[in-house]
Amino acid sequence: MKQFKLGDIALLVISLAIVISSFNSYGDFTGKPEVHVRAGNKEWVYDLSVDTFATFYGPVGETTMEIRDGKVHVHDSDCRNKVCIAAGWVSRPGDWIICLPNDVFILVEGTMAAQEGGVDDTAF
Amino acid sequence: MKSSNIRLYMGLLALPSILLQDSSVGIAIQAGYVIMLALTHGRRFRLLPNIILLVSVSSAHLLQPHGLHLFSIGNFPVTAGALLLGARKAFTLIALLYLSHYMVTGRPQFPGRLGKLVSLQFYYFERITTSWRSISPKRPFIPAIDRLLIALSAPATDSGSPITDDSPHTFGTRATGSALLVNAFHLIVLWALFVLGQSGILPTL
Amino acid sequence: MIRHSESNRYARIEFVALLAAFALFLSTVEYLIPKPVPFMRIGLANLPLIIGLGILKDREYIMLAILKVLGQGLVTGTIFSYIILFSLGGTIASALVMYLLYRFGKRWISLVGVSIGGAMASNCVQLLLSQLILFGAAARLIAPPFLIVGLITSIILGIFAQQFVQTSSWYRAELEKRS
Repeated sequence: MKQFKLGDIALLVISLAIVISSFNSYGDFTGKPEVHVRAGNKEWVYDLSVDTFATFYGPVGETTMEIRDGKVHVHDSDCRNKVCIAAGWVSRPGDWIICLPNDVFILVEGTMAAQEGGVDDTAF
Repeated sequence: MKSSNIRLYMGLLALPSILLQDSSVGIAIQAGYVIMLALTHGRRFRLLPNIILLVSVSSAHLLQPHGLHLFSIGNFPVTAGALLLGARKAFTLIALLYLSHYMVTGRPQFPGRLGKLVSLQFYYFERITTSWRSISPKRPFIPAIDRLLIALSAPATDSGSPITDDSPHTFGTRATGSALLVNAFHLIVLWALFVLGQSGILPTL
Repeated sequence: MIRHSESNRYARIEFVALLAAFALFLSTVEYLIPKPVPFMRIGLANLPLIIGLGILKDREYIMLAILKVLGQGLVTGTIFSYIILFSLGGTIASALVMYLLYRFGKRWISLVGVSIGGAMASNCVQLLLSQLILFGAAARLIAPPFLIVGLITSIILGIFAQQFVQTSSWYRAELEKRS
């Protein structure tokens, strides 16, 4: 049977390589950095790789957090001293920002490996 | 104009109201409305596939946590924002699907050269399905479809070519004024739901 | 003379419509075949696109791909929904790859290789679309099983197509008409 040709084998090998590399994506979902926010007795969770704005309500008023380009900061807060805004952007797991007057606590969680290993879009 | 074409154009005008909908409650109501439209025009609705779609798309979005932490499954946070985003996408798909069903009931005539080609394709499709019934044995498959294709490639003796006359599928009743009114009403309802969703009058959950 | 070429062109259009109808027929056959895995597809409807490579001109081939998508969209009623994007993206990608593989690699690649290439292109585009439209990043989780199933079924379909063009007398007749 002269059905298969050399090029078929080459295409099969390339396809198998694509299939095998697609398994890499499973690693991306473990220890991906997340932003945990606690305000009052509630908790919010955000993906650090997804840009977003979120507003939380505390005893003083509103605290608005912004996630952009894999970093997080307090964009605006109704508290007097604005220490949380001055804290600037944080991004590494373990980093945190706190707004004491408004009782809002922002913490980056995740493993360093996932941070460096590339939360990127090259898996395809 | 045929009434099936009125449905087609109504649907085309309604498409953006679904595609641009930002509110999950709004899109859910729109989906329900469109399902009802399809149901009243002889289309079937099965609950299970839609539930599966809703659950799978919503749970897929949980991998990207977003918003209020509701509860955890093991170590895994279930967040309200992620669930809502997934549900909104699933409802958008369901709404589009049934609007599409509604739009093509009665097989509307598409305009232009491509429309005629599609008619010709369906003419052959009907000839294939009828010829296939008369072909036996159907196994092995390759000689069977070979015979089918040979039979169809022979020039048709029965009827004239369908590309010149007005296609064999253009059945459907003449449009009446009431069909126009009814479809205008549907269009207004779908756009009203869009406006309600955008303006924040509908609950945001 | 003009009359003749005119009627000839008409016959060509009819032939494309026939192949497109054949694709529709095959997708109904596919629908009837029970499948062990929910998202598994054999892609039978791609058979006309594979066997059309040897007997269609460039423009006719593009027309066949578009008609296949539109016809399936109309039969299933999905033509005005997201689903048509998946089917359009997948079909255009696989038609393009199969066309290029056949045109430039015919000497080294059989229809089996053509089918593999087409299926991989189609499945990668559909995964990308499902990430953008439906599942978000989670689409990557379904990538490995989706690609594996697609690879296996494309090999089966390729062998089937190869056998078809080797044994079909209809195909041989069409081939002779064009030479």
